[in-house]
Amino acid sequence: MKKPDVKVVLLGDMNVGKTSLLHRYTERKFKDTISTVGGAFYLKQWGPYNISIWDTAGREQFHGLGSMYCRGAAAVILIYDVTNWQSLAELEERFLSLTDTANHDCIYAVVGNKADLTDPKAQQFQDPDETSEDRAECEEGRTEPQLHKQVPPEDAVSFYERILRYKGLDEKSSLPAGKMCFETSAKTGYNVDTLFEALFDLVLPSILRKRNENQVSPTVDLEECRGANNKRARSSCC
Amino acid sequence: MERDNHQEGEADGVKICGPTSDGNPPGKSCQRSPYLDQVTRPEAEKTENFECQNSVSGQQSTRGPEDATHDNDQSDSGEFVVTMLAKAKLEEQGIGVEGRSSPLLEAGTLESPALASHRDEDVTADSWRQHRKHVFVLSEAGKPIYSRYGSEEALSSTMGVMMALVSFVQSGDNIIRSVYSEEHTVVFLQKGPLVLVCVSSSRQSERQLRGELLYVYYQIISMLTQASISRIFEHKKNYDLRRLLAGSEKILDGLLNLVDSDPSFLLAAVHCLPLASSLRDSLSQILQKAITPNLVFSILIAKNQLLTIVQEKTVIEDTRLEPADVHLLLNLIGASSAFQAGEIWTPICLPLFNPDCYFYAYISYLDPPECTVCLLLLSTDKEAFYAVAECKRKIEEAMVAQNSLNLIAKVQPYSVSQVGVSDLRHFMYKPFDVPDNFRQLTQFTSPEMEAPYSNEEEKMRLLDLYRYMHSRIHSTSRPLKLIYHVAERETLLAWVTSKFELYTCFSPLVTKACAINAITKLLRWIKKEEDRLFIRYPPKYSTTPNPSKTSRGGKSDQQDSTDNGFLSLL
Repeated sequence: MKKPDVKVVLLGDMNVGKTSLLHRYTERKFKDTISTVGGAFYLKQWGPYNISIWDTAGREQFHGLGSMYCRGAAAVILIYDVTNWQSLAELEERFLSLTDTANHDCIYAVVGNKADLTDPKAQQFQDPDETSEDRAECEEGRTEPQLHKQVPPEDAVSFYERILRYKGLDEKSSLPAGKMCFETSAKTGYNVDTLFEALFDLVLPSILRKRNENQVSPTVDLEECRGANNKRARSSCC
Repeated sequence: MERDNHQEGEADGVKICGPTSDGNPPGKSCQRSPYLDQVTRPEAEKTENFECQNSVSGQQSTRGPEDATHDNDQSDSGEFVVTMLAKAKLEEQGIGVEGRSSPLLEAGTLESPALASHRDEDVTADSWRQHRKHVFVLSEAGKPIYSRYGSEEALSSTMGVMMALVSFVQSGDNIIRSVYSEEHTVVFLQKGPLVLVCVSSSRQSERQLRGELLYVYYQIISMLTQASISRIFEHKKNYDLRRLLAGSEKILDGLLNLVDSDPSFLLAAVHCLPLASSLRDSLSQILQKAITPNLVFSILIAKNQLLTIVQEKTVIEDTRLEPADVHLLLNLIGASSAFQAGEIWTPICLPLFNPDCYFYAYISYLDPPECTVCLLLLSTDKEAFYAVAECKRKIEEAMVAQNSLNLIAKVQPYSVSQVGVSDLRHFMYKPFDVPDNFRQLTQFTSPEMEAPYSNEEEKMRLLDLYRYMHSRIHSTSRPLKLIYHVAERETLLAWVTSKFELYTCFSPLVTKACAINAITKLLRWIKKEEDRLFIRYPPKYSTTPNPSKTSRGGKSDQQDSTDNGFLSLL
């Protein structure tokens, strides 16, 4: 197994578009998704690094699993729907506490998805990597943005500040809200790459630190010692 | 045509049973006598009261069912209930007998493309009322939980009426089981704090419909467990269960579509893909070797059918995996094929195995981007994702080495022409005799449906004929061993013995002698092909955390130490 270097978790209420965002980023298209069950694990090759991404189910049914998915996470993406104020409130009420199991230096991003529904800029955005076929399919359903935006960016920013306070982090030494709050559209691809790339850049130090630690780590990487499985595996117990 | 026989033993009216029959499996419905509203309760006064509530017509019950077909009499009891359920205008009663063919058509063609819009359906529209089969789930407090068509909100008062019926009958220490009208059968099923209701114009037997409701119940249990549902409702009687089931509607929709289109549910048996036994064995061995502590089932699926299943030895000692649990798993996979590259990790309860506990299911496709071959690994350890994912890696490697995926891709369902019996168009064969002492998974085999059953409508028609034969064979009042049924466009023969259950479909002009002769040939062919058609000996492995030294050889021990080593890395 390609050993993941770092773990990123997507959290948020049902139907905010977690799976669609990830799908846009990895497959360059937007299609109907089915409500995720449990969580889905993806391994994303990012340059020389392997990033594991957990796309979790937003349904309350799977709430109990959230903290397991978050364990040891280096980054958590908290996603809400810009046309649904409740979805931001849910992040604070239901999802924030799940991140208690994340790394202490975990970074948090607050993302408002479905910006294409309220924002002409996001609506007209074209994903340069999308095949013309997929785009044509998407174009068909494209209508003027007219839904009322229920969550202004300032609300997301103040939520981000509350996260820092919840985590007992100092605002000055932490990443600024301006850098960690995004508005995206999984449908058009607006800001999606920006989000993931920015986040991966930010977790890079923790990847490098982890790789460093691993070099001096007393545990054995099975990948490196295939064939000598038996002997080496036993030594790892000591 | 033998259509009249559909009505055999069925009378218009409300059927109520004493409380003793509660909780019985669907088969054990109470005895019914034809042409009589059967109320087993002695107090006649209350009975009448109930009839009045439903405007049940005494005169109706004395009539034969045949002559009622063109009658739009609004006092017809069942129709009245259905009307109430539909909150529709009473004048709309005369949808007529032709309605029988239209729901069929609709089930086949309209449903699949319109899947997404079912929630938005106008529940006061005629089209809503004409659906072939409605399914509703509500809580004892009368709160809507699920409706197959239309939104639950729009149906809340309808469901209130259903609950009123249920509790009215309950208040007299009775249980409402079904309501019959000439066009609809309404079946009730109470399971714990949940009430399930089916309103069907499919002409299926009450027992079949109740069996289908039970599948719906089990699917809900598989997502929430029975224990947590009882706990929730003990705490709060009027809890809105949709909060927990939100997002799962498609899983239930998918289940109901499968129930209508896949005979596995009717037969309560799993359908495995026909496979050369050498290939099946090699796949089983691959699964057998890729284990980790607390892994209990490894299941390989292609084209929504079983390829092989390997199970933990000790866990399975006195229980077996029930077909219904496998059906629920297959439905879950079908409804959650997120996207290719992902590996899913989700809790799932197998209600017949243990209705109160979760397994953790690892689901991943082995052949992206086609996604036809799916691996399902079940563990009892919530935290075992990485260890289980490592098993998949091993399985993948071994399958590459043995070129298994290419071999699986070539596997096809078989054609009935391979049997070499002329006039035989289709069959379903479910053996009861198990080849070894381990009670094994109940299976059935069936060829692909070919012309004239190649379009959805015709497929559904054949399935309906099978369902009819099935209901006759398993009739509670008059079970049969053998039925020779000459239908309009085909001849069917169903036969049940202590060793098997068989349903065959022939071209229309086949004589009885000819059909029996053909069946002899068919049985001979199945015997010959047995190894290919069925999973004969479900293999086992041992993954108990501390394998006793008695377990044979060092192989499994070595495997365990490897996996433990891997675990310690995490």
